[in-house]
Amino acid sequence: METRPLISVVDDDESVRESLPDLLKEFGFAAQVFSSAEEFLVSRYLKETKCLILDVAMPGLSGPDLQQELTRRRQEIPIVFITAHRDERVRPRLLEQGAVECLFKPFSETDLLEALNAALRVS
Amino acid sequence: MMDIARRVAHPHVVEPRHERTASENDLTVRLKHAEEEVRARDLNFQLIVESIPALVAVMTPTGEVEALNQPVLDYTGKSFEELTGWANSDVVHPDDLAPTIESLRKALESGDAYELESRHRRADGVYRWFHVRGFPLKDTDGRILRWCFLLADIDDRKRAEAQLAGEKRLLEMVASSCALTEVLTALCKFVEDTSADCHCGVYLIDWSAPKFRIGAVPSLPRTFNDPCEGLTVSLEVGPCGVAALTKTQVIVTDFESDPLFQSCAIRPLSLAHGFRSQWSTPIFARDGRVMGTFAIFQTSPASPTQVQQDLIAQVTHIASIAIERALSEAALKRSEAFLAEAQHLSRIGSFAWRVATNEITWSEELYRIFEFEPHVRVTLELIVARVHPEDLTLFHDMIERATSSASDFQYEHRLLMPDHSIKYLHQTAHGTRNEDGELEYIGAVQDVTNRRLSEEALGKARAELAHVTRVMSLGALTASIAHEVNQPLSGIITNASTCLRMLDADPPNVDGARETVRRTIRDGHRASDVMTRLRALFSRKDMATELVDLNEATREVITLALSELQRNRVIVKHTLADELPIVAGDRVQLQQVILNLLRNASDAMSSVDDRPRQLLIRTEPDADCGVRLSVQDAGVGFAPESINKLFDSFYTTKSDGMGIGLSVSRSIIENHQGRLWATSNDGPGATFSFSIPCVAEGVAGPGGVALTDQKPAARPS
Repeated sequence: METRPLISVVDDDESVRESLPDLLKEFGFAAQVFSSAEEFLVSRYLKETKCLILDVAMPGLSGPDLQQELTRRRQEIPIVFITAHRDERVRPRLLEQGAVECLFKPFSETDLLEALNAALRVS
Repeated sequence: MMDIARRVAHPHVVEPRHERTASENDLTVRLKHAEEEVRARDLNFQLIVESIPALVAVMTPTGEVEALNQPVLDYTGKSFEELTGWANSDVVHPDDLAPTIESLRKALESGDAYELESRHRRADGVYRWFHVRGFPLKDTDGRILRWCFLLADIDDRKRAEAQLAGEKRLLEMVASSCALTEVLTALCKFVEDTSADCHCGVYLIDWSAPKFRIGAVPSLPRTFNDPCEGLTVSLEVGPCGVAALTKTQVIVTDFESDPLFQSCAIRPLSLAHGFRSQWSTPIFARDGRVMGTFAIFQTSPASPTQVQQDLIAQVTHIASIAIERALSEAALKRSEAFLAEAQHLSRIGSFAWRVATNEITWSEELYRIFEFEPHVRVTLELIVARVHPEDLTLFHDMIERATSSASDFQYEHRLLMPDHSIKYLHQTAHGTRNEDGELEYIGAVQDVTNRRLSEEALGKARAELAHVTRVMSLGALTASIAHEVNQPLSGIITNASTCLRMLDADPPNVDGARETVRRTIRDGHRASDVMTRLRALFSRKDMATELVDLNEATREVITLALSELQRNRVIVKHTLADELPIVAGDRVQLQQVILNLLRNASDAMSSVDDRPRQLLIRTEPDADCGVRLSVQDAGVGFAPESINKLFDSFYTTKSDGMGIGLSVSRSIIENHQGRLWATSNDGPGATFSFSIPCVAEGVAGPGGVALTDQKPAARPS
């Protein structure tokens, strides 16, 4: 049984899916990656996930769509959004809808770690 | 019947006065003579009076009616006794009674003969005009014995005079250019005054419709006129329609019984207004065309008398003159105005130039163009003073060529006006030699300043428009570019952070670190690729022709636009044909068009929530060896009636759009000898397509530009 908190990463960008898990493991977390919201929703890791790192813009269900779906399903997973669009208008809206943080790519490891700690405190 | 004659001849009527102071014999003889004389004179008088066709009345020196001839009794239909009280009856027209009495009074006083025109009542109640002449009958001593009155019927003459005066008045109105309506109204009133109990109307015809237009209807009610206005000129409409089309007068004596007009359009209207008869006469132009009709309406059944026919003929003739004159005046005014306008608008002046004597003749417009005072003598020096300094060499060259030989020339040069404004002139001249062999030029000078200025303004506007579009595309692209660059940068930073942590571990995780560095390098290349693509997009400014693989160009655009499209939740699919022919063109411009179509499709679907926002890009070979690209969306589509406006500048259905994209796109495609069009889908949405011709086999593009060696674009997820 895995004792380290599980962080799930949902992003259609391969670079993120390859690089982020290693960093998360270096932080001391367990990590799983998914290339789409749909893939995450059907995964067995859904229930174990302590924090979700979620890309905003994805083909099919977007990040905010997934957030809504989880709320509908009463799966209260803290979410840290990541996005390559530096659109300052998006951030407050996402935070308002319950996200713990919204990071603009590229983000520093410090920012990421702070966001994850905040998320885990919530959970 | 002999009553009047007897009275006139009665011995006591004429009673010679004489004194019986002479001898018996003398007296008897003289009396006998006198009696014979009187008898003879009475007989004479009676004969004269009875044989006169005129009406004759005799009065005593004090004005008592003493005798009247038979025509008087016949005309008035009254007895002698009734007529003795004429001054208190209706025998004389009420309006003429007072002057009649006054004239008689004066004459009785002065003993002078007099004349007078007055109206007298006929037995049937009609008053007719008479010329009345009153004169005294005197004895040898100059004493007035009787007053004699001759009444001559002058009614026909009076009527003719009135008619003539009326016609004269009407013709004067025509001659003095009164408004047509005014003339026609006066004409109707004239007929109505002359011919009692009738209503007249003049109806003009607009043959282009063909419809009746009311020319004048002074005494007809609106309820009758309003429905008449604009009636079609047809045989069914009524008497005026028939008169106009058959070019003959139409007499409807009685609408109620006339079999020909039982079902005509005007009949119910006429009967409702109590009109039983209508006489319609065509009004002809000199060339025989019918310009209108003249109609007389009467409340009782009637057909025209000869007098009325003459009157109708006369007034329709006057109406014809009036209408024709009004039409030709209107035409003349139009043509004068047209000419003046044309001179002013075209801004063309003309000149003649006799080279040997330097005699120059200018038109008025040319004075206006050069802004010289009218009547100033135009010389070459004067002209040269106006020529723009930069064009002086050109101008002198023109003069030199023109003076050396007779040739036709065309020049454009500028003028520098005293207020420092600039005018652009276009000159054309034709050179000839006159009989003396002298060189002469006749030419035209057009002020083309406005055209030149608007051409410049247009060019400027085009450039601005192109810039705006480029900037707009840039703005949209910036978001895509940032996204594209931020993705690999994010990977690089994450990998580098991980790498440091792995190396810092005890023992260091060298294999892991090596892997992260490998990924860092790969992401670095990814970022570099984005930059390469960007440089390709923006390095060229003007249209550059090169060989373009439309599939490749499309893939690049999709890659760049994908994130933006995804953000708008658009599902992008593409079907790119294998072995698509290569086209010649400007890669960047074509990509701008594709990007534009993608954004357009995306925008069209922004409000769609009940179906997938699916976008399909397709490339395929087109007929005639061309290549076609189409972008199909599932958006709101467009109304069929707006299809022609879609490509207009500034036409937009979007609240935040400028409506420039499609217009510029179309001009780009047209520059590539292609076309851009839109069609509605069978299902929801629209499809925008363009096709451009491909390069013929074996022919390299201009400049022989090789295809850019592009790495496969980053994979869209």
